[in-house]
Amino acid sequence: MTEIDLDDLMENLAQCRRCGICRDAVYEDMGFDGICPVWKNTAGFETSFMRGKLMIAIALLEGRLEKTSDNTEALYACSLCGNCTEICAAEFDPKESLELVRAVLSDIPNEVRDTLAERILTTNNPYVTDKKGKRDWVAELGFEPPTKADTLYYFGCTAGMKLPETAKAAARLLKAAGIEFAVLEDEPCCGSVMIRTGRLQDAEENAKKVLESIQESGAKTVLVSCAGCLKTLRKDYPEKFNLSMPKIVHFVEYFLELVKSGKIKLKPLGKNVKITYHDPCHMGRELGIYEEPRDLLKAIPGVELVEMETNRRAAMCCGAGGGLRSYDPELSKKIAADRVREAEETGAEIIANACPFCEQNLESGAKLIDSSIRVADIVDLIVDLIE
Amino acid sequence: MNTKVVSELVKIVGEEYVSTRVDVLLTYSETASMAKDPVTPGAVARPGSAEEVSQILQLCNKNKILVTPRSGGSSLQGEAIPKPDGLVVDLLRIKGITLHKELRSVTVGSGITFGELDKFLNQHDLWVPVAPESALICSVAGNVAVNGAGPGSSAYGCIAEMVLGVEVVLPNGEIIQTGSEANPNAPGPFLRYAFGPDLTGLFIGSLGSLGIITKVSLKTYKRMHQFHYETYGFDTAEQSEKFLIEVKNNDVLPMFASVYEGPVLNFFMDMVGEEYGIPEHEWPHRTVSMTIGRLREDRMKSDAKKAKEICEQLGGHVIGISELPQGEWEGRFWTFVRTCYIHGWHWRTLYHHQTPTNSHRSVEEITAAMDEHGFLGHTAGFLSGHSTMNMYPHFYFDPLDKEEDHMIRAAHDELAITLYKTGAVPFKLAEYWKGRMEGMEDYMKLLSAIKETLDPNGILNPGVLGGI
Ligand SMILES: Cc1cc2nc3c(=O)[nH]c(=O)nc-3n(C[C@H](O)[C@H](O)[C@H](O)COP(=O)(O)OP(=O)(O)OC[C@H]3O[C@@H](n4cnc5c(N)ncnc54)[C@H](O)[C@@H]3O)c2cc1C
Ligand code: SF4
Ligand code: SF4
Repeated sequence: MTEIDLDDLMENLAQCRRCGICRDAVYEDMGFDGICPVWKNTAGFETSFMRGKLMIAIALLEGRLEKTSDNTEALYACSLCGNCTEICAAEFDPKESLELVRAVLSDIPNEVRDTLAERILTTNNPYVTDKKGKRDWVAELGFEPPTKADTLYYFGCTAGMKLPETAKAAARLLKAAGIEFAVLEDEPCCGSVMIRTGRLQDAEENAKKVLESIQESGAKTVLVSCAGCLKTLRKDYPEKFNLSMPKIVHFVEYFLELVKSGKIKLKPLGKNVKITYHDPCHMGRELGIYEEPRDLLKAIPGVELVEMETNRRAAMCCGAGGGLRSYDPELSKKIAADRVREAEETGAEIIANACPFCEQNLESGAKLIDSSIRVADIVDLIVDLIE
Repeated sequence: MNTKVVSELVKIVGEEYVSTRVDVLLTYSETASMAKDPVTPGAVARPGSAEEVSQILQLCNKNKILVTPRSGGSSLQGEAIPKPDGLVVDLLRIKGITLHKELRSVTVGSGITFGELDKFLNQHDLWVPVAPESALICSVAGNVAVNGAGPGSSAYGCIAEMVLGVEVVLPNGEIIQTGSEANPNAPGPFLRYAFGPDLTGLFIGSLGSLGIITKVSLKTYKRMHQFHYETYGFDTAEQSEKFLIEVKNNDVLPMFASVYEGPVLNFFMDMVGEEYGIPEHEWPHRTVSMTIGRLREDRMKSDAKKAKEICEQLGGHVIGISELPQGEWEGRFWTFVRTCYIHGWHWRTLYHHQTPTNSHRSVEEITAAMDEHGFLGHTAGFLSGHSTMNMYPHFYFDPLDKEEDHMIRAAHDELAITLYKTGAVPFKLAEYWKGRMEGMEDYMKLLSAIKETLDPNGILNPGVLGGI
């Protein structure tokens, strides 16, 4: 069972020197144009960015602050985007520490966190209270993928239930590329949100269930189209739960290889289509996957890739992660709207992304500010372009 | 805090920008400073304009509420620690940058950081050449309130030298503009010493105790692109000190010149050498790490040649490791913050200014205190003006070890007296200098009189500016 070393955690938290660089550093040389999306999109008290969050965490852990839901609000008003970690000059990882603090303090009531976890544990998804619907998209494919194969498409809850077009596009893309793949009959949720919000032990139990399902499918390679699933399966399961996973590959990585090796060829998307790419935190800052999605976009004839003011390691977050979309949907959407504005400034017609969870939130953000920009998964963009 | 006062605050800045939540107050009870224990305020307000600040101060005056102005909260010597049940006025919401291109100046709101300003000016190939090492965190106004220094100061002095005027809200709520902009018909900031005595200077370094700065006007310069990076080695402290004086005397323009003791530099390099890509070297007794900057290449080259000559005439040698000054200069907005924290130790600082020729005295006294009390630490300094060195000793301690914590505080306070006796002056007249500056009673009396005149109820950051 995952044990958190409290002494170690306290030592890490003590490394925060309250310098405050994680608030809104604008540093052209490193590409930062602001740091904390929560600070920027709220009233901006100290509790909104990492320095204050860690002060609260320490006070709660030391018993100087009463352990109430109200007093933990700041700990959850955070998308765990990791931009603060990227700029922090101290000898620890603030975002990772906050994630662990949430786990240590998981006995403090938090309805949102617990509802999400209960749903995942009982219905294999964080969205609804029954199991229906997650696999409905398969029926619309026009072919039935098997449940066992060397390659598994682990589609994830958001694509399956919220953006089925992306799930379908991913499956069609695989078929068009001639790849035999399986889709699980009853795919468990990867449990990312449980890890992020502090239900670590439940997340570990869930992770074992996920691994078992993958093993039953016989897959040697697991393809994911969600950045959250990618980070969770590829990094968290081995590192946090000591699980030995098969190869976990994101669609973008997979298809870039196919394009590069000439196995698939892409038709033009149009003429001079300006696209900007939003780096999902789980793919970029967490796994360092910055160039692959860009290379894949650039490989589409007729695409002009333009960068937002903040990109790659300094990219502002879409606001969905860390449980924030459930914990404070309004704030989460405001953050997304801010990112959409940044995309609009590039003059792009499309914000491409590689994560249904980001896509969903960016769409909400675009709606909030009546933006006409199109938010599209790379998978959706290339599905009809295979020659 | 009295609920009536809180509701008045709400009327002034809006509900969203006032908080009395216990978690919020906790986060305003401390800053980056390790010099003072936390103090919980009674409320925090985040005004969005000078007018709102003015109304807040009028309200606080009426109700005798103690006010702590706060910007980045990055000060290290307890300057922005609030008073029990007092009000923290967080000034970061007041934004705005106005460039006065023809006047060679720029005006910023109190919420603008050096990082933001630098990015803005870079678009025009301009800059304000002086910035503290906390440039990404602190506001320009916050730095003016402490008269900060940093990279760029070796050539241009402390931030005060860049300031042309301020908009300041006095404790009674009056909004005053200083400098040429005091004339409502003036085209903007172009002269600081415009109307009699230097009222701008009164607020620079006043640690938020005489007024709240809501705007700062600063000089801008064409951005330099010609730099020469070099390290100079010396066998004695005196040689290195003389070198710095001669560099200034000969009009060589050192944008940033640091002096390191051999063991201190070896210690730094053990920590950061690899990360910063600095070649291994057995550093001499004293090393000067210097970035020369000029607008024109010929002048930069001529300065570099002259600096080499001066070094060799004094018996020193050019070390030839340019990565150290280059890393210091190019990474000046972030690298120093990293260097402060990379080792993981907690530290207190006793910032002060010395003359270059006296800087070895700081090193001697600090080393003696470390030996006597048995704690670890170091000191180094950089040229911070006409003939000033900014010394920034760090004293390491374990915050969980109460005895050590106590000992460091005592050693720190003792050293303030000792350093003052060597001729040093405070870099930021923080509270701990109170009673430790013998022979300055009359000066402090005058400062107190000014404070009493401007702030008869003593509401604005009392006790912080040298105890006043
Ligand atoms: C890693 C690190 C490196 C640092 N390096 C340097 C350095 O190189 N040079 C340097 O000078 N300092 C340095 N500092 C100290 C600190 O950053 C400076 O003192 C900074 O200028 C403080 O500005 P702030 O905006 O954070 O102000 P705060 O810390 O919020 O306040 C500082 C003081 O100014 C007052 N104040 C703040 N804003 C206003 C205002 N608008 N009007 C009136 N009073 C106000 C406050 O009451 C307080 O007395 C460093 C700090 C850190 C953490
Ligand atoms: S988390 Fe890092 S960047 Fe933020 S205040 Fe702490 S030490 Fe500074
Ligand atoms: S992880 Fe992101 S949202 Fe959370 S405190 Fe850091 S910068 Fe802000």
